[in-house]
Amino acid sequence: MAAAVEYIHKDSLIHRLNATTKIFWALFTLVCGLLFNDYRYLLALLVSVLLVAAAARVLRNLLPAIAGLSVFALILLLIQALFFDQGQVVFHLIPKTNYLPVTNYGILSGVAMAARMLSLVLSFLVLLATTRIQDMVLTLVEKFKMPYDYAFMFMTTLRFIPTFLGEVRQISDAQKARGHAVEGLNPFKKIRSYAPVTVPLVLISLNKAENMAMAMETRGYGGGRRTYFRESKMRGTDYFLTAVLLLLLALGVTARVKGLGIM
Amino acid sequence: MTAARQNLIKVENLTYQYNGEQPVLKNISLEIDRGECLAVIGQNGSGKTTLVKHFNGLLKPSSGHVYINGLETGPLKVSTLARTVGYVFQNPDHQIFHDTVGKEVAFGLKNLRLPTEEIEHRVTDALEAVGLTGHYLTYPFNLSKGQRQRVALASVLAMHTEVIVLDEPTTGQDYRESAQIMDMVKKLHEQGHTIIFITHDMSLVARYADRTVVLCEGQILADGPVRTVFARPELLAKSYLSPPQITLLAQGLGKHAIPPDVISVREMYDLLLKARADKIGCCC
Repeated sequence: MAAAVEYIHKDSLIHRLNATTKIFWALFTLVCGLLFNDYRYLLALLVSVLLVAAAARVLRNLLPAIAGLSVFALILLLIQALFFDQGQVVFHLIPKTNYLPVTNYGILSGVAMAARMLSLVLSFLVLLATTRIQDMVLTLVEKFKMPYDYAFMFMTTLRFIPTFLGEVRQISDAQKARGHAVEGLNPFKKIRSYAPVTVPLVLISLNKAENMAMAMETRGYGGGRRTYFRESKMRGTDYFLTAVLLLLLALGVTARVKGLGIM
Repeated sequence: MTAARQNLIKVENLTYQYNGEQPVLKNISLEIDRGECLAVIGQNGSGKTTLVKHFNGLLKPSSGHVYINGLETGPLKVSTLARTVGYVFQNPDHQIFHDTVGKEVAFGLKNLRLPTEEIEHRVTDALEAVGLTGHYLTYPFNLSKGQRQRVALASVLAMHTEVIVLDEPTTGQDYRESAQIMDMVKKLHEQGHTIIFITHDMSLVARYADRTVVLCEGQILADGPVRTVFARPELLAKSYLSPPQITLLAQGLGKHAIPPDVISVREMYDLLLKARADKIGCCC
């Protein structure tokens, strides 16, 4: 899971693209995911995201994340199947009774929800895996006119997720070495037994935040207008792909207005 | 399994790799007997921590076996192995979470489900051993880092484990604090605990360990009595280590009067006196 939100250094077409193009792509996926609710459209969208991940050669690195997300996808599917009562009853969740009917539409809309969730989250993960944080900040500030403080905050948050996962591992190792075990099925007991991990984590995080604030100040954070060493440059491929994405988006909106892709 | 002569810790052809990457440990075999005091040395990234994390089951071999008291660690839980092997981590802040030092030290004992009086007793003893008597009710974060390190040490000591593993116990401590910690470790060793510690400080190895294992790129480069290992500087250099200065001096002085395996100043002093009395060429 730790690798899921980190930049993964590889040489690929997707890595070489400008961050702007990739952000457009993630937004495009987001809009398309929300435009349609037909399972076929959303599955196609999911496949397209996976293809981009494969082209960026990060699919293998994302597998653990995909596995983790699939659990949530299954839960979504289950909830939809349980509460959607239109359409033909396919079977009952409790066999040989009339309780908890599962309908064909219920299953299909569950599949659609799961595919939507997976496409949106994965497109974001692909964006993060293929774009350096500095490039992302640069683009957000220069191209998307986001205030630098917000861009910085956003990126720092992402940057620290893997760090904190590492801390969690170390802390839980230290507690396990003193005979601590997260055990039992009682959820309340289980929550209580996480305290030995969460308390040091919070304290360490506060400490880290304070240190980081000091490090930032010593390096002149907030000292006036920023200039950038790197330049965010759009190349031919970037313009071409952005144009294709805009075209596809226009097509998608038209299709939606005409009532396609809706169940 | 031969029950008669069973090593306390036995490592057989241990290879370990973090998912799918280059192995960190390559085919390591090692036996540690009861009552040894072993120093694990090697440059950063040589696999020291990875190796010792196998001793209490925090890591399980990718291939090969690790036996503790004849039991393979593979299927055992860390919390079970914690009864035999105590492990003091580098950063005490990764474990301290109670609001008093006393409760912090008692945490491991409660996990072992010991009776209350026994816990009280052991906590008091452990705090005394680390020189923190009187800090029973102190808020741990009001202590210095060195003191917190000793709280962490006490919390492991109190568990009375046969083996105590210390991962760089003196990092970030000043000289006096390091000496206090290591003297405590020495005392534990004398009381019969088996000690395994990781360090970058060769003078600590010379002063406190009986045996040392040198790791280099995941393999054992040397394993033997400290004296023998330090007598081979060319071997240590491969792992970017160098023997303590007193040993280097002995090696520099030549082969006639001073052997190359001197590891303490006292020893050197005696040898020099003797050499002067005998009027041997190198140092009169």
